[in-house]
Amino acid sequence: MSILYDDAQQAIGGEAVRILADRTRSETLKALLETTGRYDMRFWETCKEQGWTAVGIPEVFGGIGLGLVELGLIAEAIGQVAGGAPFLGTGHGVAQAILRYGSDALKERWLPTLASGETIGAVAFAEGADMLPSEPALRLTHGRLVGAKPAVCAGAVAQVALVLASGKQGPVLALVELAGDGVTRNMVHTFDNSRCTADLHFDGVEASVLTGEGALLAARAVLELQAVVTAHEQVGGAEAMLGKARDYAMDRRAFGQLIGGFQSVKHRIAEGYVLVELARANAIHAAASEGEADFGRHAAAARLSATEAYDSVSRDATQVHGGIGVTWEADLHLHQRRARTLAIENGPALFWEDALVDYLVEEAA
Amino acid sequence: MSIDLEIYRADAKAWLETKAMEFGHAARRGLSEEEDLTLGRRWQAEKFAAGYSAINWSKEHGGQGLGALEKLAFEQEEMKHSFPNDYFGVSLGMPVPIMLRYVKGDWARERATKALKGEEIWCQLFSEPAAGSDLAGLRTRADRDDAAGDWIINGQKLWTTWAQYADYGVIVARSDPTVAKHRGLTYFWVNMKSPGVTVRPVRLAEGRSEVNEVFFDDVRIADSQRLGSVGGGFGVAMETLMIERYQATDPAGFGPPIDLFVEEAKTIRIGGKSAIEDGRVRERIARTYAAQSALAAIHRRALLSLAAGMQPGPEGSVHKLVSVRTRQKLSEFAMDLKGVDGMRYDEDKTRKESWSKSWMTAPTGRIAGGADEMLLNTIAEKILGLPQDHRPDKGVAFNDFPR
Ligand SMILES: Cc1cc2nc3c(=O)[nH]c(=O)nc-3n(C[C@H](O)[C@H](O)[C@H](O)COP(=O)(O)OP(=O)(O)OC[C@H]3O[C@@H](n4cnc5c(N)ncnc54)[C@H](O)[C@@H]3O)c2cc1C
Repeated sequence: MSILYDDAQQAIGGEAVRILADRTRSETLKALLETTGRYDMRFWETCKEQGWTAVGIPEVFGGIGLGLVELGLIAEAIGQVAGGAPFLGTGHGVAQAILRYGSDALKERWLPTLASGETIGAVAFAEGADMLPSEPALRLTHGRLVGAKPAVCAGAVAQVALVLASGKQGPVLALVELAGDGVTRNMVHTFDNSRCTADLHFDGVEASVLTGEGALLAARAVLELQAVVTAHEQVGGAEAMLGKARDYAMDRRAFGQLIGGFQSVKHRIAEGYVLVELARANAIHAAASEGEADFGRHAAAARLSATEAYDSVSRDATQVHGGIGVTWEADLHLHQRRARTLAIENGPALFWEDALVDYLVEEAA
Repeated sequence: MSIDLEIYRADAKAWLETKAMEFGHAARRGLSEEEDLTLGRRWQAEKFAAGYSAINWSKEHGGQGLGALEKLAFEQEEMKHSFPNDYFGVSLGMPVPIMLRYVKGDWARERATKALKGEEIWCQLFSEPAAGSDLAGLRTRADRDDAAGDWIINGQKLWTTWAQYADYGVIVARSDPTVAKHRGLTYFWVNMKSPGVTVRPVRLAEGRSEVNEVFFDDVRIADSQRLGSVGGGFGVAMETLMIERYQATDPAGFGPPIDLFVEEAKTIRIGGKSAIEDGRVRERIARTYAAQSALAAIHRRALLSLAAGMQPGPEGSVHKLVSVRTRQKLSEFAMDLKGVDGMRYDEDKTRKESWSKSWMTAPTGRIAGGADEMLLNTIAEKILGLPQDHRPDKGVAFNDFPR
């Protein structure tokens, strides 16, 4: 399936773009870069206030019961302004895992506050280069977690984390509260500090198992859902950078003409447009195929095109700007940083390439 | 996807399968081009009889009056069998539809029906040796015979696809060289069997001759054969090209599907391991799939917006640019992957079945119908609003510009 947005959906997207343009400041974002563990609280308040945190959660749990298409539109708007808090995507991953695999008690306990945005959720599957370790080093014994998860996005401030750990009979997907004793968070300094990245250490911390059997598949499903949100965010960011490049090329003169009149510049920007359009098409297509058999394939394709678009367009936009583009003042680096961060978080291209090829080979078999 | 469309597709698929033996790839093996064309004409007639011709054309023009989504579904199924329909692509793609927009009445209807049944073929006479990307630079003349009111055509066209089999063509010619180049052109239809028309095939790098040089020596045509106003030919040509952009429907760029690559990568071994395990191969598969699936999604959305009555966007340029370029690179890579076997060239296989044939024929795809550079200019100027290239010929009368 591949859709045209209906009026209601367009309104959601348009509204998000309008509100965010009004409430985000590059000065705030730049200040966040200088320290670890801080995020743009005003931006996050906006997310809560607007109900964006509630989008993917059913009404019975205080959500508004919409789907990936709507969440994608909001994520795209956030991507445009390089929003300074990563919790919308991770919260969605945690909420969906609880919805799908959690007990009624866990649903009652977490979903309403995830919907309101009071609870911040983090997803901690990866261990180094392995996005979905089949034998995680983090261990769950007698209901308690022992070990660590490195560089967890939102890990610095989240109240609850979804982890992939080794249980007695193989990997399990578990939920762990981060407020209690035995949890240590070490801030990680990254080139995009507003992601609130932290190493999480667990020293015998109680955790609830969501699923044992098929935990890897379940974790993959969560990653795929988040992938589509991330892909939209990347599309938004890429589009913003494309706009910056275009506007600059329409303004700056050299050799007696606008630099946008030089084909090497003009074609570079046109190539960027092509990448953004491909990425957007895949992202929308993936969001619209949530729940269908080939969703995983579309999610992987969406991530690949979106990563390529955001990386390339921010690289080229900087080039088009010449010297001014590489300064702290010009703000382009905010998107460059975010492009690389989003490329890695939630699975780098290598991971999604493998995922996609596995799906294609399975299908061909 | 709607149930109706699913049923339509399933019916088409089933019908096509019953025809594959008689008209599909196996039936075409070893045929000369003339024999293949004859088979192709019969195939068009079969489609017409079965109601699968001109699926999205109006009934008045011999079509089925259905939507673009039905047409796409049919074409996707049809493409799987390598039926002989290349010869009719240009004809039914642009010249006949544009002719139908401008010429009314029985004559036009009869031409359309004959073209749909494969009995007649039309060609598109735009490009010339000195006018390809710069279409408005053409020199073929159309001079008015004031006494008779007719037009006399003189000059040379180049790259005219299937002109050697064409019965009719649409042609743009210079009717007034004293005004700026875009303003002095007029558009006509022409009978290719008229006295003074000479067609000479041009052999392409890959060995075949689907394109031609066409010479016009005092070819006389009536003013009633004019499409649009005198001096308004450039606009009609642009209108024709807009129709052309919607012809590109294959995300694989009319080369082999990615499935074929995956199949082969499973059997080929590199350094003792299956190629499908190789990271370089996996990357290529994943990237190509992602690009092609995006094109398919873009195309479906374009059709949906057309169906919803919205204006078509610039999808056509993106589709052609990305699909053919991707096909060219993937074909190269597939040949590398086969090692020395990659050099084999099987004349009997189509460009959708053979990587070497796909590779040999891909360059034409990046030129015909607008070179990559022109597509990028279109995107930059028309969509992004970037400045036009420096154009020293702008505003200068055609005659006054040094050539
Ligand atoms: C197989 C095939 C079938 C064809 N069929 C038909 C047909 O049926 N009817 C018909 O009328 N024509 C047909 N054509 C012609 C086709 O439309 C032209 O070949 C095409 O438009 C390019 O023109 P050209 O060959 O004159 O190249 P040129 O225009 O001379 O281009 C040469 C190079 O210069 C570049 N270039 C030109 N202008 C610019 C610019 N402004 N900016 C940047 N780069 C530029 C081009 O991209 C290209 O790389 C066919 C061509 C082929 C190869």
